[in-house]
Amino acid sequence: MSSSSTALRELQRDLENKANDLSKLQKDIAKNHQVRKKYTIQLGENELVLKELDLLNEDANVYKLIGPVLVKQDLAEANANVRKRIEYISAELKRLDGSLQDLEEKQHSKREAILKVQQRIQSHQAGKAKA
Amino acid sequence: MASSRGAGSQQVIRMADLEKMSLDQLKAVKEQADIEVNLLQDSLNNIRTATGRLENASAALHDLSLRPQGKKMLVPLTASLYVPGTLDDADKVLVDIGTGYFVEKTMSEGKDYCERKINLLKSNFDQLVEVASKKKTLADETGVVLQAKIKQLSPSS
Repeated sequence: MSSSSTALRELQRDLENKANDLSKLQKDIAKNHQVRKKYTIQLGENELVLKELDLLNEDANVYKLIGPVLVKQDLAEANANVRKRIEYISAELKRLDGSLQDLEEKQHSKREAILKVQQRIQSHQAGKAKA
Repeated sequence: MASSRGAGSQQVIRMADLEKMSLDQLKAVKEQADIEVNLLQDSLNNIRTATGRLENASAALHDLSLRPQGKKMLVPLTASLYVPGTLDDADKVLVDIGTGYFVEKTMSEGKDYCERKINLLKSNFDQLVEVASKKKTLADETGVVLQAKIKQLSPSS
């Protein structure tokens, strides 16, 4: 009987570990969503800025706020900066998409593994009860 | 922004499906729908606030355009410190277009900018109102079916 109860304890420990892993995965997924939300907002804002810059004449004055200082910028340079930023943010979003998919797959397989361990625990306990 | 939740695929929950679901599933659906409705209401409020601020800016611009050059005014340095100054060129305005960029525009361009932003916000607002009312209908319907099921299951003697 003692060997089966140590086996049971091992199974339960395994279950605990898997449950911890699962909750860590879920936290990672939540963080992914948060970061992705932030990037999506920034992307939207930058695209608005780009649209405004496109509407300007060649000779319009563009200033950038750097800390407490308003610095005059060249329109072409401002355009280039905003475009580069948009590219960067889009690349980050794609990367986040990839890792989100990866995390969700891991979460799914972790859930299945937990289910299996739970079933084994149940059958173990049923086996003990019968004997 | 609309792609962030794939709302289209979740939206197709009909009355028939609601009837088939168990009590727990119904509760989960209702909670989810309530959370989404609250989120959408918050967004709607944010848009309303932003639109209000833009309309204030537009009014201030219009007011500024009426003032003659060289007019004496008080310039705020902090929330409680004002310094006397004179109005220089009321035809040029600096517009904050986001992400730390400012553009020098003429008065009419500035007014035009405010108009454009207000219109953009208004159309976003209208779109959101549609989505929000659909979600609210779903939440209400789910609530109704939930109540009916609870009544069914509880002994009616």
